[in-house]
Amino acid sequence: MDNWVIAMMLGASIFLGAIALSAFLWALKNGQFDDEEKFLNAAKFDSEEDLNDAVQKELKKEKLKKEYKPE
Amino acid sequence: MSKNIACTHCHLEFNEDVMIKDGEHYFCCNGCQGVYHLLNEEGLDSFYEKAGNTKLTPQTSQYEDSSNFNSPAFYDKFVTIDKDGFSKVSLVIEGIHCSACVWLNEKALHKMDGVIEADINFTNNKATILWADDVVKLSQIIDMIRAIGYNAFPYDASVQESYANKERKDYYLRMSVAIFSTMNIMWIAVAQYAGYFSGITQDMKTILNIAEGVLATPVLFYSGWIFFRGAYYGLKTKVVNMDILVATGALLTYLYSIYITIVESGEAYFDSVSMIITFVLVGKFLEVLSKKNAADALDIMGKHIQSEINVIKDNQLVSCKLDDIKVGDIVVVSSGEKVLLDGEVIKGSGTFDESSLTGESEPIYKKVGDKLISGTVSIDADVQFRVTKDFKHSTLSTIVTLLESAINKKPKIQQMANKLSEYFSSTILILSLLTFLGWWFWPHSFEISFMVAVSVIVIACPCALALATPVATLVGLSLGAKRGILFKEAAQLETMAKVDTLVLDKTGTLTVGKPEVVKEHILEDFEKEILFSMVKNSKHPISKGILRYLKENDDGLKDIIFDEFSQVPAQGMKAIYNGVEFLGGNKLLMKNSDIEVEFSSDNSIFYFSVDNKIVAIYELNDKIKEGAKEFIEFIKSKNIDAIMLTGDNAKSALRVANEIGIDYLYEQSPQDKANYISNLRENSKTVVMVGDGVNDALALATADIGIVMGSGSDIAVDVGDVVLLNNSLKSLSDAFKISKTTLGLIKQNLLISLIYNAITVPLAMAGYVIPLVAAISMSLSSFLVVGNSMRIKYKWSK
Repeated sequence: MDNWVIAMMLGASIFLGAIALSAFLWALKNGQFDDEEKFLNAAKFDSEEDLNDAVQKELKKEKLKKEYKPE
Repeated sequence: MSKNIACTHCHLEFNEDVMIKDGEHYFCCNGCQGVYHLLNEEGLDSFYEKAGNTKLTPQTSQYEDSSNFNSPAFYDKFVTIDKDGFSKVSLVIEGIHCSACVWLNEKALHKMDGVIEADINFTNNKATILWADDVVKLSQIIDMIRAIGYNAFPYDASVQESYANKERKDYYLRMSVAIFSTMNIMWIAVAQYAGYFSGITQDMKTILNIAEGVLATPVLFYSGWIFFRGAYYGLKTKVVNMDILVATGALLTYLYSIYITIVESGEAYFDSVSMIITFVLVGKFLEVLSKKNAADALDIMGKHIQSEINVIKDNQLVSCKLDDIKVGDIVVVSSGEKVLLDGEVIKGSGTFDESSLTGESEPIYKKVGDKLISGTVSIDADVQFRVTKDFKHSTLSTIVTLLESAINKKPKIQQMANKLSEYFSSTILILSLLTFLGWWFWPHSFEISFMVAVSVIVIACPCALALATPVATLVGLSLGAKRGILFKEAAQLETMAKVDTLVLDKTGTLTVGKPEVVKEHILEDFEKEILFSMVKNSKHPISKGILRYLKENDDGLKDIIFDEFSQVPAQGMKAIYNGVEFLGGNKLLMKNSDIEVEFSSDNSIFYFSVDNKIVAIYELNDKIKEGAKEFIEFIKSKNIDAIMLTGDNAKSALRVANEIGIDYLYEQSPQDKANYISNLRENSKTVVMVGDGVNDALALATADIGIVMGSGSDIAVDVGDVVLLNNSLKSLSDAFKISKTTLGLIKQNLLISLIYNAITVPLAMAGYVIPLVAAISMSLSSFLVVGNSMRIKYKWSK
């Protein structure tokens, strides 16, 4: 039975690691690390207001995308 | 006396009297005041909190009309449409000082209707903006950027630049997967090796093998995809490259390990599979990192297109786009401006600086009827000229077109390691096949023979070989960067070390490129401040040389405001102060004022007279750079042929050549220089060209390696392969030394990895290599190579 404990732990930790890795890959693909200075400075612009603005920006983008039909 | 206070917007400090008082705030100008109120109204005033005390550029309001940005021609050139139908443009934003500036720009743009995304890069101030063109126009976006105190102009985000970034990102992704998996496999491998020595049940072994197999699969097929692709192209072109060796080695080991896991006997090698891929991938990534990351050459044209040109049409001055100007149009050039079109002077006269085109260090006087060449700069001339060629056919454009074709023709550099790895890879593959056959016919089971054959490939895995060159060149690049030498591509270090011919430009390369005072004759005492103020008012290179000389000798000279001051084109200047007349200029100016001069010299001479009496004579010359003679001696001691090609006349060429001891050719046109170099190259010489001007650009592109002075013209810097930021000949000889050291280092590293293989491959063929030894020795050889490179770096930094 001991073997199954080890197998399970190995499986679980590889799975958790894979989740973290895929999150990192997503961020990388998304361009979040493209500009290292911006990435480091981001901590300075991390207030409630900034979060709100970011949400507004996403909403606006979605709305425009739906409405905007170029000929 | 009132005190200095800081402007609320830009934080620059001025005297209280001159500031605009607005409530409790002070502003240095209307522009700053306007921006401050705009930000307050828009609710963006937290910008000031974020910016702290960073000093900003005060707002100016002299911009060309932004409606130009809405023209179809402009949209054609710079605006692209993305897949959702939104318009996209790349802008360079001027005036960004801190992260708060970036924040403000992004915020302000996001607040606009129709702007989808504004993304500004902190490092290079380049912005990508995405907007819905029906809702808002580009001109409004640019107006907004200007309104908050910045300026923006578009640039062509060249295809290659984004391609290089894409490639880099691709490598990041593949490397993260490889490193993640390899690190985890190593933990599991520790258990495997412990079990190997102290006993382990077969069940447990299989569990560990399966876990390793799961982790190794993405490494081989995702991260290692690059090698399979490379191997495929290698087979297609019938070249046995390193990719084939890596791909077959890793794939065979992987398949064998799966087989072992299923039959539950023997040792699996999943750790070796992922380690091979990871190490070689890192080596490849280092190579990609040190590749030229931007195709600058394509940007050359863009820089000129922006300029507006003043044209006289129907007796009215109108500004016109460069492309729209036709043959026969009349163009106005004022002092300090660059001539962008070829033509013939029809009104006015003055001196022009042709040094960037012809290498002529002395300014040239042009009058009605003389020809103007595009690319020259007006020093003090206000002239009108009739265009004789449109922009597409102008001298400047012709040079650029020739350049682009020269750049495209530039041969690809074959690196030593690539050549070596071809032989290496095929040898190892043959050896491993022989090993397999040998063991099989020497009656052993298929399993054992196969494993031994695979261990040959695994142990010979070119990790160290793959790292040898990139690590060495990275060391070379960083050594150069610390000394102000920028190699645009790592492979150039290797080529430069093999150079046997050096071609040098004169003006700006061997000489300073501007006249400096070499002798001062004071005939009578006079007030230095008067001469100082006179030369300060002139843009002529001779005046600038005297200004530098005066400043060097006396720091405390003050400006005098003359009662009258005028410039005499191509002669000098006149000033009247307290009723006394002062003249400063050349012999002709003195003659015209009936002043006798009996002085002659090979140098350019500047006379200064007070009340029609000469009180001082300055001799100026284009000084030879410090260390020029030592540099030529150094080059000769390295058995490199050196020759100077100059567009200048025989006399000034001879003077420089004699002083530093170099062969020379004079009155060389840009095409002459390029032809000379391509002749040399046809005689299988490896040529380095060093230059700085537009006239050298073609030669720079033709040579194997083009080295440019950082102060050189934009085109030359774009075309050159190596840029010397501090313009000194000391760093030029450093560049040679660094390239030699780097080539030596590459050779050492290759030797280390070959010796390592010469020892371990026979052991593997004899079947003495157990998995643990294979894994350890693989990392060891890589560490040896990296360590050796660090040793050189340490030695140089001392």
